[in-house]
Amino acid sequence: MVQFLIKRFIGLLFVVIGVTFITFVMGLNAPGDPIRTLLGQHFDPRLYAQLKHAYGLDLPWYQQYYNYIVNLLHFNFGYSFKQQGQSVWSILSSGVPISTELGFWALILEILVGVPLGVVSALKANTWVDTTNMGIMLVLFAIPVFVLSVFAQVIIVWIDQHTGGSWPVSGWGNPWQYTFSDLQFKIVPILVYAFTGMAYIARLSRTSMLEVLRQDYVRTARAKGLSERVVIYRHGLRNALIPLVTVLGFSIGLLVTGAFFIEQIFNIPGIAQITITSINSRDYPVIQATTVLLAVAVVIGNLISDILYTVVDPRIKVA
Amino acid sequence: MDTRDRNTDPAAQGAMIPDGAILPTDPILTDVRETIPGGPPAPGETTAAKGTEKIRTPFQESLLRLWRDKRAMVCAGIILFFVLLAVLGPLIYQHVGGTFQSSINGATPSSVYHNPFHQELDHQDEFASGMYWLGTDSVGRDLLARLMQGLLISISVAVLVEIVDIVLGITIGVLAGYFGGWIDQFLARFTDIMFAFPGLLFVILLTGIFGTWADTTLGNIPIIGPNGNARLILVSLALAFTAWPLMARYVRGQTLQLKEQQFVEAARTSGASSAQIILRHIIPNLLSIVIIASTLNIANTIVGEAGISLLGLGVQSPGSSLGLMISDGISLIDSHPWEVLLPSIVLAIIVLCFSFLGDGLRDAFDPRSKD
Amino acid sequence: MNLLEVNNLQTYFFTRGGVVKAVDNVSFVMNAGETLGVVGESGCGKSVTALSVMRLIANPPGKIVGGEINFNGENILEKNQHELTEMRGSKISMIFQDPMTSLNPVFTVGYQIAETVKRHRKDVSNDQAWKRAIEMLDLVRISDPKRRAKNYPHEFSGGMRQRVMIAIALSCNPQLLIADEPTTALDVTIQAQVLELMKGLSREFNTAVMLITHDLGVVAGTCQQVNVMYAGHIIESAPVKQIFETPAHPYTVGLLQSIPRLHESRGSRLTPIAGQPPDLSNPPVGCPYAPRCPKVQNRCRQERPELMPVGRGEQVAACFYPN
Repeated sequence: MVQFLIKRFIGLLFVVIGVTFITFVMGLNAPGDPIRTLLGQHFDPRLYAQLKHAYGLDLPWYQQYYNYIVNLLHFNFGYSFKQQGQSVWSILSSGVPISTELGFWALILEILVGVPLGVVSALKANTWVDTTNMGIMLVLFAIPVFVLSVFAQVIIVWIDQHTGGSWPVSGWGNPWQYTFSDLQFKIVPILVYAFTGMAYIARLSRTSMLEVLRQDYVRTARAKGLSERVVIYRHGLRNALIPLVTVLGFSIGLLVTGAFFIEQIFNIPGIAQITITSINSRDYPVIQATTVLLAVAVVIGNLISDILYTVVDPRIKVA
Repeated sequence: MDTRDRNTDPAAQGAMIPDGAILPTDPILTDVRETIPGGPPAPGETTAAKGTEKIRTPFQESLLRLWRDKRAMVCAGIILFFVLLAVLGPLIYQHVGGTFQSSINGATPSSVYHNPFHQELDHQDEFASGMYWLGTDSVGRDLLARLMQGLLISISVAVLVEIVDIVLGITIGVLAGYFGGWIDQFLARFTDIMFAFPGLLFVILLTGIFGTWADTTLGNIPIIGPNGNARLILVSLALAFTAWPLMARYVRGQTLQLKEQQFVEAARTSGASSAQIILRHIIPNLLSIVIIASTLNIANTIVGEAGISLLGLGVQSPGSSLGLMISDGISLIDSHPWEVLLPSIVLAIIVLCFSFLGDGLRDAFDPRSKD
Repeated sequence: MNLLEVNNLQTYFFTRGGVVKAVDNVSFVMNAGETLGVVGESGCGKSVTALSVMRLIANPPGKIVGGEINFNGENILEKNQHELTEMRGSKISMIFQDPMTSLNPVFTVGYQIAETVKRHRKDVSNDQAWKRAIEMLDLVRISDPKRRAKNYPHEFSGGMRQRVMIAIALSCNPQLLIADEPTTALDVTIQAQVLELMKGLSREFNTAVMLITHDLGVVAGTCQQVNVMYAGHIIESAPVKQIFETPAHPYTVGLLQSIPRLHESRGSRLTPIAGQPPDLSNPPVGCPYAPRCPKVQNRCRQERPELMPVGRGEQVAACFYPN
């Protein structure tokens, strides 16, 4: 188990290193000269050289990369090119709690709804309950999150227009606070955000549960005289959940990608929206920082699911 | 226990029936015939005894199963409709509707006002009419024309990505499966990393970072370049880059199975070289799995391109893309919802059709993967 | 009163390819403490018979369509779900063929034994149940049972896992243990150990054992009575000695003849039984063995023989022209 984890960790470490290197190279080769842009009208060769030195941009590339990594490890993301004097972190810090809140609730919803839906479908396999359920899940999974968002917004607008209500379609309210007005902002985006992952988890739960119910040890449990409920939930579900744990990493990946669309369409000021803005304004330090952050989020998600897997399956426990 | 595949991995679920169309029929492999609906022949009973059954190759069997799958056929039909719409539609639409007197541009023939780039500023945000069959957007562009153009973009990107995906996927997949060794190791590591990192995120970051460079450098390529389409090459390459590992894995799995089959061993003992075996026996039998994987990937590609354009990182104005149409229309959701609903619904339909078609293909070619 | 009395049991499977008559009119009895061997080739209905007794037939597609199964005078086929779960594991237990997959991988073996105990003896505490689990492990000769009770199934070998299964099955002192090919998946040497264990425990606790197997060698060493099954019917039933020394039904004769013998010369051929078992969704009229029987007569093809005495004590065979 420990070996397995170490191998995975190293692999994922490579991903992070690779990502930092790519973003670093991208920053180096970015078209346009940031110092020159910064100086704008007040270009002066001496000032230019000074600024370049201050930003550490006159060092050879491998040293710049080294500095970059060291800074990263200290959570120092440097300074924005566009918003003068502002550190990248201060720009990002407003978005982090929002995006994590969005992602956190979506994940909880995905699991709490997706797993039971899948299990119920498996228990009633091939009945109308199962077919309708899986049909809906297929549709929710296939239709991209931004289309679902559009549909949700259209529905809200239509309801608003016909009932004279004012349910908002954009904005976020206060991070991690839940007054009624906050909830009005948050419920719909979180719901729509969760649909894709929920559908995926539901389908997977169903497959996993069906697979488990066919196993010999389920037959043994019945032969022991255990009640059907105990057989299904204690013996069956417990095993069916094992492969689901490995899906956590993938779900977080889905969430990170989906964030871009949800935040864009619902106008939520999270990290993804900040990334897009900085891409459009070519604020490279911010782009670098968000890239690294997002990559690390995905990597951590994968690592957590790997660790959980070793915890949950006793067959892996032995070192 | 690999649950990372977004679609249940067809190569991992039981043996696929190879298309035995190349060699003289191997009695073991071609014994699967469709006689009893849904049931295999009972032991001891030969299918010849059943009477006048036509003898078909497994590939033809699969095509027949597909033909009988109404849902898949309807979806294929819808997809075909959209393809024709995108390719032939503009040619027809350009000539429909007469010349009209524009207060700004004077006499304007249909070939102009039905052009997706033409802005008729007197007719902004109009609902569907005789002149503009699906209405106009906020700068007076014909929505139907833009839709067709967007579909054309989606199709082009999908085709381009699929070509690269198939070529790379088959090459590396077959080499990894047949020879193993370092190629296999590399593929395994690479796919592990690619699975850990979501593809669309990678594409977003790549197009975000290199987008402007693509605009300036690639914008000069004729046909593709102008009209805001320069980034499409970048987007296509990025999408292909994230797609091929999955294809390679399917191909690798299928190659591993095929490698162990008797007809390959027969070829080897009769002196065929590895290259000959690969080209003549392995690759043709990959057909079904490549078709299935491609169909499913096309859905991803179309969504990917739309998503990238929606974020403003793909097709730029004045170009048109389903994603761009959506992002343009979002701000008008309370006043002119059809502007955003039109591309959304079309996109949803297309993606659903590809998904159902992919499912149908999978059921047709590997019926045992059904629960 | 017989411990188990099966009368005219019929278990059919309703599939898309037709109705498969897996068990067609099977009747037999078992007495307390007796070991009955049920022999036959794959598909003859022996497992389905056992699963029918436990009412573990998967429905759909299977269904017990006729007959009665009387256990201690009560008809199992009339019991409701609650009564069945009371019965299983405590009055009648069953162990299965593949020990590698029959145990739940996420629970310790101690837990899986204790779980049975707790389910059937409501007044027993967790500690007592655990103690009983360790006792059972010791009984089935698993060394260091106190420590091993906390191990998971994957930490045991195949033979040991089967012993754990036996421990689970016997933990509540059942009157009948059904063992469905318990040693088929094990090495020959381990086979012998497990069979010895079962024999000893059966004697010690006076547990009746229904031993299902396709291996006549297993039967010879352990059973007192033998039922030979073919195509969903019992075609011969006799005390073990008579089965081996004076087999009556041509099928039994064929089975015995097909066993390779050590003392035969190297070049001699094996004598298999020619042909295939019949299609159970379309069984032939008359004796099911007729198509393959070397002694077949016209009457065999038209009339189906019932089990009848062959003139040697209790031995019965379903044949018009037995040995």
